[in-house]
Amino acid sequence: MTSEALTEVAVGITVNGRLSRHRVPARLLLSDYIRDVAGLTGTHVGCEHGYCGSCTVIVDGDAVRSCLMLAAQADGAEIRTVEDLADSATGALSPMQQAFHDHHALQCGFCTAGFLMTLESVDPAEWRSPERTVELLSGNLCRCTGYQNITEAVAAAWSTNHEEGGTQHG
Amino acid sequence: MKPAPFAYCRPDSVAEAVEVLASSESSRVLAGGQSLIPAMNFRLTDVSVLVDIRAIAGLDSVTVDADGVTVGAAATQSRVLADAGAARAVPGLRAALRHVGHLQIRNRGTVCGSLAHADPAAELPALAVATDARIRVTGPGGRREIAARDFFCGPFWTALEDGELVTEAWFPATRPDSVTVVDELARRAGDFAVAGLVAMIDASDGAVRTSRLVGFGVGGAPLRLGSAEAALAGWSAGRPTADIEQAAAADCADAFDDIHATSWYRREAVAALVLRAARTALAAKEQL
Repeated sequence: MTSEALTEVAVGITVNGRLSRHRVPARLLLSDYIRDVAGLTGTHVGCEHGYCGSCTVIVDGDAVRSCLMLAAQADGAEIRTVEDLADSATGALSPMQQAFHDHHALQCGFCTAGFLMTLESVDPAEWRSPERTVELLSGNLCRCTGYQNITEAVAAAWSTNHEEGGTQHG
Repeated sequence: MKPAPFAYCRPDSVAEAVEVLASSESSRVLAGGQSLIPAMNFRLTDVSVLVDIRAIAGLDSVTVDADGVTVGAAATQSRVLADAGAARAVPGLRAALRHVGHLQIRNRGTVCGSLAHADPAAELPALAVATDARIRVTGPGGRREIAARDFFCGPFWTALEDGELVTEAWFPATRPDSVTVVDELARRAGDFAVAGLVAMIDASDGAVRTSRLVGFGVGGAPLRLGSAEAALAGWSAGRPTADIEQAAAADCADAFDDIHATSWYRREAVAALVLRAARTALAAKEQL
């Protein structure tokens, strides 16, 4: 790109393995790109200023708050959203999704996609201890569960799935 | 909320970035954007042109040598946190970064961006002052280097002039016999500190010899606690602490009141953090 400043920007963004090219307003947030342009509404927008973590997605391997990133900054990036976790052919949930289901780790579900993408992005070996898990989850707010069932789900998923943070599809 | 309209550019070189920055009064540098974008979403910041510096080659480097650690303007906090060489050379970098935001914030947020943003409650500006870091900038008038102690002028206010871009920050290597402690009181891990402290402490034979103490969250800019440093010299565990606590509180006499804490609470908190850091440093020395 040149140093010309533009109010509309051409971007090529890969979401869950599919590359699309669009012209978008420079001010379009990545969270709104994912929901309104890519049409993937599993990513939820909560506070829209980086506090709640509901909109967490994975950008080039790292968990990121998509409301604190512009679509323009994601040009050339590979994004994964919650829609990429379950097996697209069979619909089978990822081990972490299944653990959330089994342990009742959600009530209203608004924050869940953000939790799942944070968890999906990390190496369980680094974050498995109870203290580290709590530290990891401090970046995602849940107002229903009190976190107890979430930490139980994480412990269960990571105790049976030592080597991977979750399944890798797509 | 959504940010108000603005123009965006992604230059390939520092020279181009500086040219765009200088061409508009309300242009801003976009590195990680983890403070700037929320401020824009809230419409607290008026920006006409955003200059994204992440495409500039080499700006994301982290270089470690015998003299210290050089952190490029686009290097993320996560990247520096994970750098074992940087942590050995300047232990305060890892110690401070553990307190900065959450994982998702550190994955985008940059070390230099935090310095340029100059939030009075942030850890990295205090670390920069404590370690005698130097901030290297390029602007329309060329390059210059600013000592950290001269860089932070007040809340969200630095010595940067219009059109200037921070290109890197250099943190001198910490002497191996010095212990660095970064500690803070916050409501929740990752939140901004109510009050915090960066301490670099030299100790021998069970007593503090010299110290460098810098408070954050207690003033408009990182605050050197000169009286507490003097009071702490010669102290060992079990000795009286009242003089040290009074000195630390006096250093923070201008600490502010807000919804989270009173000025009095902040002064008491810093005094407690100073003693905690001294005990931690003495214990660390004993284990060596």
